[in-house]
Amino acid sequence: MSMALFSSPPTHLPTISPQPPAKTLFTHKAYLSLRTQNRLLLVSTRATDSGSGVAGSTVVVEEEKLQQKVSEAPVSGSDPKSESLEDSLGSNGSPAATGAQEAKFVTKFEDPRWVGGTWDLTQFQKDGKTNWDAVIDAEVKRRKWLEDVPESSSNDDPVVFDTSIIPWWAWVKRFHLPEAERLNGRAAMIGFFMAYFVDSLTGVGLVDQMGNFFCKTLLFVSVVGVLLIRKNEDIENLKRLVDETTFYDKQWQATWQDETPSSSKKN
Amino acid sequence: MATHSHPLHSISLTLRTPRLLRSKPTTLLTITCKSNQPLNRKLRAAVIGGGPAGSSAAEALASGGVETFLFERCPEAAKPCGGAIPLCMIDEFSIPVGLIDRKVTQMKIISPSNLTVDFGKTLKPHEFISMLRREVLDSFLRRRAESSGATLLKALVTNLEVPTSSNAPYTIHYTMNNSKQTLAVDIIVGADGANSRVAKSINAGDYACAIAFQERIQLPDEKMEYYQNLAEMYVGNDVSPDFYAWVFPKCDHVAVGTGTVCSKQNIKMFQRGIRARVKPKIEGGRVIKVEAHPIPEHPRPIRVRDRVALVGDAAGYVTKCSGEGIYFAAKSGRMCGEAIVRASEGGERMIGEDDLKREYLREWDKKYITTFRFLDLLQRVFYGSNAGREALVELCGDEYVQRMTFESYLYKKLADGNRWEDAKMLVNTIGSLIRCKLVGREMEVFDQRVLAQLL
Repeated sequence: MSMALFSSPPTHLPTISPQPPAKTLFTHKAYLSLRTQNRLLLVSTRATDSGSGVAGSTVVVEEEKLQQKVSEAPVSGSDPKSESLEDSLGSNGSPAATGAQEAKFVTKFEDPRWVGGTWDLTQFQKDGKTNWDAVIDAEVKRRKWLEDVPESSSNDDPVVFDTSIIPWWAWVKRFHLPEAERLNGRAAMIGFFMAYFVDSLTGVGLVDQMGNFFCKTLLFVSVVGVLLIRKNEDIENLKRLVDETTFYDKQWQATWQDETPSSSKKN
Repeated sequence: MATHSHPLHSISLTLRTPRLLRSKPTTLLTITCKSNQPLNRKLRAAVIGGGPAGSSAAEALASGGVETFLFERCPEAAKPCGGAIPLCMIDEFSIPVGLIDRKVTQMKIISPSNLTVDFGKTLKPHEFISMLRREVLDSFLRRRAESSGATLLKALVTNLEVPTSSNAPYTIHYTMNNSKQTLAVDIIVGADGANSRVAKSINAGDYACAIAFQERIQLPDEKMEYYQNLAEMYVGNDVSPDFYAWVFPKCDHVAVGTGTVCSKQNIKMFQRGIRARVKPKIEGGRVIKVEAHPIPEHPRPIRVRDRVALVGDAAGYVTKCSGEGIYFAAKSGRMCGEAIVRASEGGERMIGEDDLKREYLREWDKKYITTFRFLDLLQRVFYGSNAGREALVELCGDEYVQRMTFESYLYKKLADGNRWEDAKMLVNTIGSLIRCKLVGREMEVFDQRVLAQLL
């Protein structure tokens, strides 16, 4: 049941459906609280549903109804969720849609700490200092919410939060250091084992190895390898990246390719 | 040993030539200068397609002394187009200011999380993006081409006969006033747009196209006031997976549209997405027209073959990232026309493929390939994912970035910046990209974490 719950929102991204609010109900950590009084129901009417090349079709946003849900919108597999939504929010599930209407059930992102288009840092205090990890978490959830339920941009309450507000060391501590630890660990293991291996094969000790050009090259290759190839998929990704980078250039040069050698001046 | 004569004669520079006049020169260095044979008449050129590219080519050709025929099948058509041209086009092509419908001096970029950045603080009072109606611009350029001496033919070109021998003329079959006619010309400039028939006739190859879809919406006056000289750009997966969606003000309405390359079948979905994103600002509006158009994504594999050259959309000269094509179409048309005039010495001599490649293609590539490559890089980095788009909008908040972007766009020249500021911009770019990518990664992890907690 819960699988259906979370598999549906991404696939219904553009046709905004009642599912997302239910998703937040089920987040145990109530970072997002659903303010029922702010739910908006926008019903748009399209005179013709063909959607292509029709001049004169009318798009008018008809009404904003509070606390009303259209029952025809939910798709199969999400009914348990819709019911619980009704129960907990106490809305009446009276259908408001007629044949040609397409109902959009929209909720705005609401959070007590999201004030005036940015995160109110005073609410993130812990032991007198701002808890930047919590800010990052909150922003992650906000962006995830907006990805699933895109909101129209409004001139009245513009968003002004950008990630540069969070200081660099908060990012480093949370994301870079664990990764760096892992990579350094790998490099150390590779280094120790390779040094032992080469020493056992050739009898050349570690200090003498470092003087040798071939060994230095090997060291460089292993460092680059540890840095670039962190997951199995990275090998394919890197190859694809090289192809993609040169692809556009190849398309530009294509017109010069069929030149015969006798009349070519190299480009 | 080496025979060397005046460049105007046919020469082959060869080493060791005992009677090697007829055989292939086997040398390290071969310079072959084919002499362009002088004609006892004016060179005849046909420009197929009367848009900005065709008209500029025809004007350049006609003013250079070449006998020019400009074919346009539908001179009154209003082409679906953004209709924005940079300042340099006004200067270079002497566009009268009266043709401009609106001068956009402000732009807003909105990220997927609705972070809004105001672009345009750095514009000087005389700088703006001009919005015009394509039919107005196109007819102005066509009339100017006509007054330079080109013959405008309101006809549909149905077929192009490629000659079997070099120096024999091309035959154009066309329908004019319901009668089929033919015309023999020496040079053809294909300026007939994304579905170019000329390109098909010379087997120029295909290219990937994006589709741009837009709806023209008439707004109530107070809402139109907001878009007086403001254009908006929206980025996000809900509006386009690899491009942007826009709201551009036109003469008395706004055009709300979006585009995509990889996901064309979902274009309607993206259009709904952009309509939803702009909803409060277009409430009460009325859709007056719906239109769509293909936009080439990269140049065709062959842009010049024998004595046929492609320009404008037919050649694929549309930048990535912004999808701008009008200026490059007009400029390429002009450069091609001037190249033909130069190579043929004012219409006196016949020219060949090498001349076209040397004078037109090489010059064009030299001038603009860096611009195109750079914009391709920007598109790949910043339009590929929501994280990239957030980083893009964050970066655009910086004044230096805004100034560089606008100057490069308006003048089509690499704006000269401060080295120190450049370095700062680079560091900020990397910083923003890293931060937004980390947030993006956390977003994916978050989804799975919540899922796991429920199971």
